[in-house]
Amino acid sequence: MTITVTPEAFSFVSFDSAYIARIATHVAEQLGLTDIDINIAVDETSPLTRIDVEVTDSLISIRPLSGALEDTRRPRQQSELATTLAMARSMLRARDRLRGGFENAPLDAELTLPQAAAWDTYILGRISRMDIEVKKQAALYNFRNRHGFNDASDHVFEKIWNTDSVTWDELSALSANTLTLSA
Amino acid sequence: MKKFMPVEELARDERFNQITQADRMADARSAVPANAESTRRSSNRLTPARADASDAARSLMHGIFVGEIQALEGAGRTCWDFTTGEEAPFGLKLDMARQAWDEARHVEISLKLGDWMGSDVGQYAENTVLFQAACSNDPVLRLAGVNRALEGLAIDVFTSMKEFGEMAGDPYLEFCEDWMLADEVTHVKMGSDWLRKVTENDPERRKKALEFQSIVDKMFSYGGSRSDSDESSLGIARRFRELAGFTSDENEHIAELGLQALEERKAQIREKQAAAKN
Amino acid sequence: MANPQKPRAPFAPWDRRELPGSFSVEETARRVGHYKWAEMKLFEALGGWIATVPELDIKMRLGTHCYKHAWHAELWHKRLPELREMNPERLTLPANDAMVRFIEAMTEPEAPELTIEKLVGVYRVFIPHFISAYTYHLNNTSEITDMPTIRSIKFILQDEFDDWREGEMLIQSLLETTEEVDRAAAHQARLEKIMLEAGGIAGPGSIGINTPAPQGAMS
Repeated sequence: MTITVTPEAFSFVSFDSAYIARIATHVAEQLGLTDIDINIAVDETSPLTRIDVEVTDSLISIRPLSGALEDTRRPRQQSELATTLAMARSMLRARDRLRGGFENAPLDAELTLPQAAAWDTYILGRISRMDIEVKKQAALYNFRNRHGFNDASDHVFEKIWNTDSVTWDELSALSANTLTLSA
Repeated sequence: MKKFMPVEELARDERFNQITQADRMADARSAVPANAESTRRSSNRLTPARADASDAARSLMHGIFVGEIQALEGAGRTCWDFTTGEEAPFGLKLDMARQAWDEARHVEISLKLGDWMGSDVGQYAENTVLFQAACSNDPVLRLAGVNRALEGLAIDVFTSMKEFGEMAGDPYLEFCEDWMLADEVTHVKMGSDWLRKVTENDPERRKKALEFQSIVDKMFSYGGSRSDSDESSLGIARRFRELAGFTSDENEHIAELGLQALEERKAQIREKQAAAKN
Repeated sequence: MANPQKPRAPFAPWDRRELPGSFSVEETARRVGHYKWAEMKLFEALGGWIATVPELDIKMRLGTHCYKHAWHAELWHKRLPELREMNPERLTLPANDAMVRFIEAMTEPEAPELTIEKLVGVYRVFIPHFISAYTYHLNNTSEITDMPTIRSIKFILQDEFDDWREGEMLIQSLLETTEEVDRAAAHQARLEKIMLEAGGIAGPGSIGINTPAPQGAMS
């Protein structure tokens, strides 16, 4: 496994590429992604939080905007927790695509907002069980924004949050059914 | 207790990290594309259609929360800083005390909404520009700054958040924002009425106050965060502003200031990004 | 069915209100002017302190209480012309110099680590004195001639009790060491001594003690 981080030196933010690499290595080991190369390219010109992830059989490419790794209390400073979460989210998404029953999931850019929220819930639920601090209420709020503010939506959220194994077909069906119930 | 408190002395517990507008403007990154050809998202309006809508709404909610704290502090300071009768009419100070109570409720509401949306107190940096810009040592300028500029901004923000709640189907958010919006319209109206009354026989002072308001309004456009352009996350809530006593001309002026601030910020970003690349 | 022609007693058997009261119109106006002055000083201080206290819950309570006392001042401001004082500012006065010194001492604490002192001054000294002065007024004024004052006092007392309880609970929640208990007690004693000199919110006789019979009183 090789992990590369670019840029090596940051000029818009006070981030440390070696630190990002150390965190990424630790998370990759926790997730059993030791047999694949990982490339992390931070776009430091944007404070937004989006992360693009691309996966091939031999490489995971993670492209976070700088806001995804930032300490929201101290603008332009790196946050260990945010970096860990960004890496865990990206790598779990990649692992799902590689070997988690998500082979036929659409590309990230083609996911609907409810599908993306359902997948994110599945990812964050598992991260919370890795002893990484995750705000469950924030995840619930995102799920509600995409599936409706009602009991049926909350019930499905809990189900997805608590599972450790679901396929893309099952997850997308859960999301679609919730939308039908909320309509 | 002294009169006129500098912004650096606003008391906070350890959860808060305060930054100034200068800190914020020193950030060369931008969610707003510096070039028209940029491929970055062309609309920054806060709507549920944004992929990062939940994060953006949470961050704005925290901004509202700290803004309400500063508005509470500003209204409270007006009760203390000015001598009744000589410097500020008794009725004006009663209105400011009423506003302090309203803002205290808004802080409470914002805290509950923060819990609902999944954020913690102090999770985001607190920009102290509201208190800094609004708390002038002249009561008339303070009215213009706090009640018209700051509370006018609050009308724009609450309208955006209310619409966000409506579109997302979030009954809790929509309900709370609507109530807060009603209070803000009242506060702007208080400011408009007192400004008119206090400067009735002093056109020079009124002119000075309105000029000050214009400066503050531009600052509160946060480098283009509020304007009619879709590149700004907030629009201008003309209907509610008119209810609060802003004239159409005043609203157009604020809209122009917002666009100016946006263009200036974009130029600044282009410059900073070019410098950083060299 | 009651007979509409049948005469009824103007005062029902359960209506035990008495006509006599301890205060003349002038004395009532004097007291009301002092109440207004003191309520104004209180709401101004509470407003000023909001920005100086770091405790978020206390910040919000001070904002809420600030308005209540401003409203009390407004009620008294409106009562004064009804008591033949057409220039309310004329009677909006401290009871005496000691009362001015009390306000100066009460509003002295400013630093963020002095929340205990700020709250003690208001909730353990000033508001208890409001409660006693208002209660004395309520129980001694004419229940018929001065009903408008009574009505205001009843509204105000409800606020004072609520705020006193909230303030006292905030103080108790801040006192974590014996040193802090001593701090609170020392500050309370210091202010209470000045208040003793002032004689209460409306000066000597605020609660009836050491008061020469007010002129024109009917008893």
